[in-house]
Amino acid sequence: MLVNVRFSEDLVVRYVFLMTIVIMAGNGADGADPAHEAAVTIDRLFQAAWKRDQVTPAGRAEDAEYFRRLYLDLAGRIPAVSEVRDFLADDSDDKRSRAVTTLLDSPASVRHFTTSLRNAFIPQANSQPQFRALIPGFEAWLWQRISEGRPYDQIVHDIISTELNAGAGAALSATTSPDAFFVVRELKPENLAAGTARAFLGVRLDCAQCHDHPFDGWSQQQFWNMAAFYSGFSQPDDQDADNPLLTQPMTEKTDKRAISIPGTEDIVPAIYLTGLEPDWTDPSRTPRQMLADWIVDSQNAWFAKMAVNRLWAQFFGRGIVDPVDDVSDNNPASHPKVLDLLAQEFVTSGFDVKHIVKIITATNVYQLSGRQTHVSQDEPTHFARAALRGLTPEQFFDSVAEAVGYYQPYRSDNPFVVDMNSPRAQFLNLFRNNTESPLERETTILQALAMMNGTFINNATSIDDSQTLRAIAEFPAMGNDQKLETLFLSALGRRPAPEEQLRFGEYLSSGGATDDSKAALADVFWALLNSSEFLLNH
Amino acid sequence: MQRTISRRDVCKYSALSLLGASASGWLPTIAARAGQSDTKKNRNCILLWMSGGPSQMETFDPKVGHENGGPTRSIETNVPGVRIGENLPMTAQVMDHLAVVRSMSTKEGDHSRATYFMHTGYLPQGPIRYPTVGSFLSKELSNEECDLPAFVSVNPFQAFSPAAYGPGFLGPAWSPLVVASQMTGEDAEAQQVSFEVSNLKRSGQVTQAQANARLQLLTSLEHDFLKNRPGGPGRSHVQSYQQAIRMMESGAVDAFSLDSEDDTLRDAYGRNPFGQGCLLARRLIETGVSFVEVNLSSADGAGGGARWDTHQDNFEAVSSLCGVLDPAYATLITDLEHRGMLDDTLVVWMGEFGRTPKINENTGRDHWPKSWSAVLAGAGVKGGQTYGSTSEDGTEVTNDPMTAQNLMATICKALNLDHDVTNYSNVGRPIPLSDHGSEPIQSLLS
Repeated sequence: MLVNVRFSEDLVVRYVFLMTIVIMAGNGADGADPAHEAAVTIDRLFQAAWKRDQVTPAGRAEDAEYFRRLYLDLAGRIPAVSEVRDFLADDSDDKRSRAVTTLLDSPASVRHFTTSLRNAFIPQANSQPQFRALIPGFEAWLWQRISEGRPYDQIVHDIISTELNAGAGAALSATTSPDAFFVVRELKPENLAAGTARAFLGVRLDCAQCHDHPFDGWSQQQFWNMAAFYSGFSQPDDQDADNPLLTQPMTEKTDKRAISIPGTEDIVPAIYLTGLEPDWTDPSRTPRQMLADWIVDSQNAWFAKMAVNRLWAQFFGRGIVDPVDDVSDNNPASHPKVLDLLAQEFVTSGFDVKHIVKIITATNVYQLSGRQTHVSQDEPTHFARAALRGLTPEQFFDSVAEAVGYYQPYRSDNPFVVDMNSPRAQFLNLFRNNTESPLERETTILQALAMMNGTFINNATSIDDSQTLRAIAEFPAMGNDQKLETLFLSALGRRPAPEEQLRFGEYLSSGGATDDSKAALADVFWALLNSSEFLLNH
Repeated sequence: MQRTISRRDVCKYSALSLLGASASGWLPTIAARAGQSDTKKNRNCILLWMSGGPSQMETFDPKVGHENGGPTRSIETNVPGVRIGENLPMTAQVMDHLAVVRSMSTKEGDHSRATYFMHTGYLPQGPIRYPTVGSFLSKELSNEECDLPAFVSVNPFQAFSPAAYGPGFLGPAWSPLVVASQMTGEDAEAQQVSFEVSNLKRSGQVTQAQANARLQLLTSLEHDFLKNRPGGPGRSHVQSYQQAIRMMESGAVDAFSLDSEDDTLRDAYGRNPFGQGCLLARRLIETGVSFVEVNLSSADGAGGGARWDTHQDNFEAVSSLCGVLDPAYATLITDLEHRGMLDDTLVVWMGEFGRTPKINENTGRDHWPKSWSAVLAGAGVKGGQTYGSTSEDGTEVTNDPMTAQNLMATICKALNLDHDVTNYSNVGRPIPLSDHGSEPIQSLLS
């Protein structure tokens, strides 16, 4: 079954080679691995799609390339020099899958998934400054659940059905709770309906709010049926437009199951998007609990697909459906069977995110190189080579910090409280980008200026101020070659190529532009930190 | 390819010539475009963007005497017979320069879609990433001698539709330089608005020769890495660095410093981010920037929020926003005129849609794309007129309906551009500046 007679010779050779590697990896430490089996099936689906579309995929990523990408995708930062050295030195067959398992249990990974889910669930906190104060409480709540290994469906259920700290007024925003999900949507049933559909189902209902949206098959009635589940909130009497953080106490009528469509006489009941009517026989179940039950139900095809699609996008820069939150007939999946398979795995694993991550990272698709070998690899929907993609602001700063050896002081009582004057907060602000897709990430002129001339990078590349650089520069046992290697490993997670060794080595030994070998070292580090290889994921 | 870099080499070049000298192609050069610039002086454009959708009835199309008009009265202007809302007394005195379009009629009532539509002239559809108006116009209008980016955006509020503010398929070379206002000064009373571009100066510890050497090292890294990794993010990275370096080496950045401006004039614009932003727009146009967008979306004049979105307390909110808009807008027009720049500078005022004529139960007005106002002034525009009209209750356009596409075509024509000029999109289809079938409205043009 491996060899299809119609494969070109080249493809067959590559295919057999790749399959052999997968099989070897699968036969590693933990024997029959369910994630491995799914990964093989996914690779087979991609092979078929590439063949159909006459695509020649890129080669397999080298260890260093793979390792850096894995760290960024899973831990939200580049690997440390020692971590790269250890990985490169390890010659066991299953080191890639072991690295995944180790990283999945790391605090950095919990932190990274927390940030990713927060971005997905309360995107307003990024785009609208008045909601930024909500981030710490929401992240602390998510972080706790992710670190406890709670299944994804439970987390979502808890958000939708949470008992809001009603009446707490301003305190609402400061608590360790999922309340921010409601606050950023101003407790409005219409915003909550649209937000729920988009964040958890990948369905854009928004346009059906005001009129039927025949294009996507959603009617205005269906929109308000969904909103009715959130109809119990009283709006504060004295609503202050300048203060949406709800400083007024609010109440919720948990027996309200219908809503009137504004501007009409119509009152519509709470009905699920599928048209199914909720079974209200248990009077103790509130409308939000009933909605949460239906959203996370294993029969709800949207729910699992949305979650695995978003995970896929975290590892590839684009979803199988892309944008990830726009599932509709007009926006078909590039590889629907892959999406189905992952969704099925997600359900049967009990909504275990780690299981899906293990599958995705075990595929050959994920392990492709970013180096182009054929033009057919340039179409991003083929996933035929690792795309160049932007970092999130958090990935960016945590990577810079790792590379330059900057110690990030966290407040021990609450690591999520952000000091707005810290370098991290300043960088997050500057590198908060507005493009929707990481594949379309744009570097701004202001970002370029901050990297070239800003105080933080300037200190990091100054012999007087940078601990890391001085340690390398003044370490007597290191020759120029080793110094150069350490700088490359710090910034790029790889050793210099022979011609780089020559070119940069020459620069170092000539004393650079200032006839000063230490300053020359700083120049090299500056160039590395400003390179697109450092500033992008690939 | 092996290249070594010696100290002697790097001292020979300035940073810019280094970039220019890179024939390896990782820096698609500005120089390549330089040859195309013609001697004819291009026109320029300032877009005053009212994020959230301003009420036409409290600004340029008051409905006095009808219940939909609410308490807003109208006032005379310096053009006999033309009356506008009482919130804009200073603007009324420059009416002879304005062409008020009262018959804007669109179909998009959602902030996100409407913001995209009015910024690009196209509806969001399929995979085509349409460029924002500042990008595609500055591409046509830019002059190569200017060391600043051709398109500068002041305090934009992008949350409604990030894609509406980007260069789309034109690519990162036509991205705006986004400038945010800052408040400086210890004393809260005496705070000043400023627009400094951060990090323009190299650290004092780094010599020019060293800076050049660093760029050459960087160039070699970029060349090796990007030669077989095509894609937007890499291209964008290179182009931003190129533009940033050009700015660093130029005196043109003085345009961002408003200190050299006369205090009386600064006061007249209004000492708030929008007022000073309009002054900045004039200075940037003087320096050679082709397109400046200045956003007004909150009563303090800063970029945050979308307070034109007056679902509640419309009259109070619009009145306070107009308190910022009116002096800035009127002063911009007169300042441009006094400097002889108004004939070459088109000033466009608009938001993504208007507000419902019927006042809602919260004394507010909701989204209303069916009949609303936009205003043109300056280059190529025949001022002192209104175009189109709405019914007494404001709910219908009664004559000369104006589509977004025709407005875009008119803007192109006012700037001496052919609206049929096409750019190749990311899907390989040629896309005209304004959509197929759109026509400039001749009677608006001088």
